[in-house]
Amino acid sequence: MTYSDSELDGFVAPTKINRRVYTDEKIFDLEMERIWGKAWLFIGHESQVPEAGDYTTLNIGRMPIVMVRDKALKVHVLHNRCGHKGAKLVDKPCGKIGGFRCCYHGWTYRLDGKLLGVPHMTGYEETGFNKDDPQYSMQKLAKYESYRGFVFATFDSNAPDLRAWLGGAGDVLDNLCDRSPEGEVEVAGGVLKYEHECNWKMFIENLNDTMHPMVVHRSVVDAANSFISTLPEDSPHRDEAEIIPPFGASYENFEATGITGFRYGHHYDGGKSSIHANYSVDPEYEAAMIAAYGKERTREILTFNTHNTLYYPSLTIKSAIQNIRIVRPVSVDRCVVETWSFRLKGAPDSMLQRTILYSRLINSNGSMVGPDDLTAYFRMQQGLQSTASEWVEMHRNYGSDEDLGDRWTNKGTSDLDMRSQYGAWRHYMLGEAV
Amino acid sequence: MSNPNVRIDNERVERFLYDEASFLDRPDLDRWIELYTDDGTYWMPAVEDQVDPINHISLFYDDRVLMEIRRRNFVHPRAASKDYKVRCSHIISNVRSEISDDGSLTVTSNFQCVVYYNGKQTLYAGNYVHELLQADDSFKIRHKRVNLINCDGVLGSIIIYL
Repeated sequence: MTYSDSELDGFVAPTKINRRVYTDEKIFDLEMERIWGKAWLFIGHESQVPEAGDYTTLNIGRMPIVMVRDKALKVHVLHNRCGHKGAKLVDKPCGKIGGFRCCYHGWTYRLDGKLLGVPHMTGYEETGFNKDDPQYSMQKLAKYESYRGFVFATFDSNAPDLRAWLGGAGDVLDNLCDRSPEGEVEVAGGVLKYEHECNWKMFIENLNDTMHPMVVHRSVVDAANSFISTLPEDSPHRDEAEIIPPFGASYENFEATGITGFRYGHHYDGGKSSIHANYSVDPEYEAAMIAAYGKERTREILTFNTHNTLYYPSLTIKSAIQNIRIVRPVSVDRCVVETWSFRLKGAPDSMLQRTILYSRLINSNGSMVGPDDLTAYFRMQQGLQSTASEWVEMHRNYGSDEDLGDRWTNKGTSDLDMRSQYGAWRHYMLGEAV
Repeated sequence: MSNPNVRIDNERVERFLYDEASFLDRPDLDRWIELYTDDGTYWMPAVEDQVDPINHISLFYDDRVLMEIRRRNFVHPRAASKDYKVRCSHIISNVRSEISDDGSLTVTSNFQCVVYYNGKQTLYAGNYVHELLQADDSFKIRHKRVNLINCDGVLGSIIIYL
């Protein structure tokens, strides 16, 4: 038994969302089929598979996927499943292979997934089995494309082109790459995998929820400020002192930074300014940027200052920090959030070191920020079991979004981000226009 | 360099490790921090055999400054994740010490720690590497490395130093 479209229609209204959207397994299953089965999803970065035979594995929902570079150096996104009995073909996070070989009956595949060999080919004559029939090869995802090294894929052959889907939100991916003097980034410094006992949407809905930092993160800001106040004034500079206190920025401050929403549920907060705007700039980095781009363009790149950017539903990036987070839904009340860091090619090591420090201070399982966010999601997941009300509200600044054609803007504290996400939710779940 | 000519009083070393663990069991971060030298660090790598805490992500890499912030955060009334009692039980074993020419000790041990937090028990396991300096009749920790056997796996919130 599942929900009809008219029932789903009743669960998401312009200013409120039915609690079941977060708690009901049937809705989760439909989201996996209709949102995660249709949207472009972030798969990985080309720098993870620099040479032929390099691969990296991931799960989308329960489905095992592999990203691999073939001998012609083209990157493919394939179902990680043998065409014979269905065993997963590779089962390490990443590695290098000459071709795929199944651990069970030894079927072999080229790096682009085509079935190459079946041991002992006797007994198949006149059975209807044809080794060259594409159904026995590893299956490709319907579409996959790379944008500035970021590989996305979709299960939907009717999905729009990746660039059209990114729309104006692609500016932030550009900004992340443009912050490299060479215009390129690469994955560096390892991954954090953080289990969240909450619905996946709670994580992405928090990204541009600018009404929470001064509440949820007050403790770490207080703790940092109270310790910093005990230090002599000539104490050495600490990046922590730039990173932690802005989490306690005022409502007015967050309101002024603005939120911008796009089609397909993407959005970012900030732009002219954000909580990352006042970080000091390493003079060596600035010099490398100016040598590459000139003064004016460098200023443009470094002052495009967004906080979080969401590419609905799977990817969120911080261009100013050069880290990204990926949400991987597991079940209606569980997801895993991965944090990856990027190196700006041609930039001094201090830039990656700041990224790593940020990821550790803010996003790590052991940090003083992420666990407080997670506690709020966990309590929502529990509180929404209550039948006291069927609704979660999202009224703030409703009716005043400014339509700029390809994007919408409103105050940074508005629920524009929620409206943008649930517009996309309705698009994917109910077929509404975006 | 280890110096085989200097005898190590293993009982003293073990007693020190147990004392440290008991501060975390309670947990009493005020007293725990005092066990560290001024330049002391606490490191929990995110991958096996990690060599670099600066250019590679870690679960924790705290110096005294971050320990001081964490200590204050731990008891802050508005830290939602600290609304729940944290109770820990550390077991430490397989303690081995080496002494260097400068008199510092490198102590390796195995540990298991059960953390009870927010209605759930979590078992952590791995090994410790302590770099200890002699201090009066006891030791100070210059560096503690916590190698979780599942450091690169999917983990929940790690709410307290292990």
